[in-house]
Amino acid sequence: MNGHDEHDEHDEHDEHDEHDEHDEHDEHDEHDEHDEHDEPKQAPTPATELISEDLTPDEAATEELTPEVAPPKVISPEVISPEVVSPEVVSPGAITPTQVAPRRLVHLRWDLDKTYLQTNFDSVKDLVKTFWQKPEDKATVAGAQALLQSLMDPADRPNRRVTFISGSPRQMRKVLMRKLCLDGVEPDMFILKPNLENLLRGRFRALRGQVGYKLKALLLSHMAAEAVDEYLFGDDAEQDAFIYSLYADILSGQVDAVRMAAILTTCKVYRHDVDEIMAYHKQLAGSGDVVRRIFIHLDRRSPLDRFAAYGARVVAIYNYFQCAVLLFDAGLLSARGLVGVLAAMAAAGYTPERVANSVQDLMRRGFVQPPAIAKISEALDEAERTADPPAERPARYFMQKFEEVVAGLSELTRSPPPWELDINYLGLYHEARFHRQQHRWLGIRLLD
Amino acid sequence: MAHIVIDTCGGREAGAEALEAAAIASLQLDHQLTLVGDETELTGKLARIAHDAERLRVAHAGDPVDPDQPLRVALAARNSVTVGLELLARDPAAVFISAGPPGLIVGAALRTLGRIPSVGHAALAAVYPTLRPHGPASDPFALLLDVGATVQCSSEDLVTFAAMGAAYASKISSIERPRVALLSNGTATAGAPPRVRDAHRRLLQGPPGFEYVGCLRADHVTSGDADVIVTDGFTGDVLLRTLEGIAATGELLIKRAAERFQWRLGVQMLGDGIAAIREFTDWENYGGAPLLGVDRAVIVTQANSGRRAFLNAIRLGVKIDRLQVLAAVATGVAALRSKEA
Repeated sequence: MNGHDEHDEHDEHDEHDEHDEHDEHDEHDEHDEHDEHDEPKQAPTPATELISEDLTPDEAATEELTPEVAPPKVISPEVISPEVVSPEVVSPGAITPTQVAPRRLVHLRWDLDKTYLQTNFDSVKDLVKTFWQKPEDKATVAGAQALLQSLMDPADRPNRRVTFISGSPRQMRKVLMRKLCLDGVEPDMFILKPNLENLLRGRFRALRGQVGYKLKALLLSHMAAEAVDEYLFGDDAEQDAFIYSLYADILSGQVDAVRMAAILTTCKVYRHDVDEIMAYHKQLAGSGDVVRRIFIHLDRRSPLDRFAAYGARVVAIYNYFQCAVLLFDAGLLSARGLVGVLAAMAAAGYTPERVANSVQDLMRRGFVQPPAIAKISEALDEAERTADPPAERPARYFMQKFEEVVAGLSELTRSPPPWELDINYLGLYHEARFHRQQHRWLGIRLLD
Repeated sequence: MAHIVIDTCGGREAGAEALEAAAIASLQLDHQLTLVGDETELTGKLARIAHDAERLRVAHAGDPVDPDQPLRVALAARNSVTVGLELLARDPAAVFISAGPPGLIVGAALRTLGRIPSVGHAALAAVYPTLRPHGPASDPFALLLDVGATVQCSSEDLVTFAAMGAAYASKISSIERPRVALLSNGTATAGAPPRVRDAHRRLLQGPPGFEYVGCLRADHVTSGDADVIVTDGFTGDVLLRTLEGIAATGELLIKRAAERFQWRLGVQMLGDGIAAIREFTDWENYGGAPLLGVDRAVIVTQANSGRRAFLNAIRLGVKIDRLQVLAAVATGVAALRSKEA
């Protein structure tokens, strides 16, 4: 581990030296720099070449840092998924969870803090505390570990990839990897933010900003396999819904280069990152509509309307049982996996009422229809009856609560929310910025 | 854990503030909340405000509550009051909060819910601020019942109300032996109606669990001489409205005083004191009036209740559930009956 870390640092510095001059220009004279950048630049290594089944997370992260030295490792679709489905162009509006073929290669991309881990970094004190926290002291969000473990079930593992992209500094890799190891989660890629590098280079905006960093990491680690379904997991503490949707729209060809450049400029992404992202955009734009769902964990309990503009692809979730229900409905999670998530949440103190309430919430928002709840109840019953050893907490009581929920609203039909085909990213960025400024100067209003 | 059922069709801004109060409660309290109202409308409104969906559930009630509707028609409809009370009947740990028409709530409650054994009529118990604090916690509020549930009362009802009010006050304000008084037109009962005279005579025999302090005139209601004041629903409602009217008039007079420059200066100087009085007399701080006599907790708030009133009603509901107030009320009535027998 240490060896890798040292290597990372070394590589980082090499990269700094190369781009230091550009960044200075970024800060002082943007117009002059435009001219400099007009000359053709070497495009970054295609993301396809960076992904390998054999990569350990450390290796993956190392390669992410040094794309130019990465050996090209192209994986043929046959190797990734023996039952690969021929790629077909499906309009986002036409996609429903049940239409997704379950045996395609599935890439799960997780944010770490506030999505997988219960992290508090609202103050400097919390930040310091988080930094020095031991792996065994770090707590996961209820149900997240069980969900991820179920999704990465050994039977499905050959068809699944998991990548963690976190805003935590690279110096925390050892601790975070140890934590994931303790949880029995083995990520294929683990990307951390070069915060020390940003600090040393005076790129202070990049310390807090996520758009440039995460978008670049997403595009870089994108698997260009023909039949891949991506499921992204983030939270409402940062701009995950914005970044993930933008990423999805780049791949599906909804965002052209001009619009992309305008978005990045508005988001105040550093020029160096803009150039890299634009290069990836050139390669990957329109490569396939692969993002099936974006789950946003409502750590801050933000109003749901804040995510409505992103359409049905973004699902704001209050807990991971909601996520498990949707993934079960999509054929991605087994009934046993669903029971596992339920058991983990019960162990974390979730009552059947709380779980049933969250199922009702999904129903009311149109993400799940009453027949699907009946299907879930049947599956839970079946999984519980065949469980070995028998489940500690009977799912029967949970099922009874679900049935109560369904009975109350069975007459109401709610169509799923529409898929947003043309997301106004600039408008959303300004709206979010306005909210942040309002919170900064006036404090967070009640119910906001 | 309490289960709070909230009627979201009543209160300020057509129930929007009741919904907001529920959303705040879902974020701040660890209790199950059920919102009763039009599901489509509620889901749309909830999406616009921060809330915790893990603690909120929606129960659909399609029919609107119309205050001008005949009671028989309103009771037959699937409105937020009738649906909410049905939910309440199914869950012994539930508390129903509504700002709907009190007549409809009382009528539907008596029809849907069971009564506490040997209680003939229910009573609405309102709290009001007094000069002398009550109990070890220095509670500034005294209890007045009935304020509108039973317009015509017998002496039997008044004695039962006294036992129920005392049991309620002993739990909510932690008063070991609450002082109970009958509202009358004088301290002597000679000029009082027969039902008051008879109730006075029965209460003088030394009821269990509380101290009977005799009859009390209306001008002593706010003195705090009694922790519980008992009267019939008609008089209680009139008295409560009078007290609220006086408080509102005082508020208006202060606003008018600020119209002249010199007076405005004076009002500014007295700002803290006026704010303290305003806080003391603000009915939104009371948390609503519990309906005593039924076997479930029902809290009736004023028709123009805002977010704060609903939040305080929710807190009161939680307290009623935590302290097992209804069980204490039933015990108090049973003790009275056994003593009388």
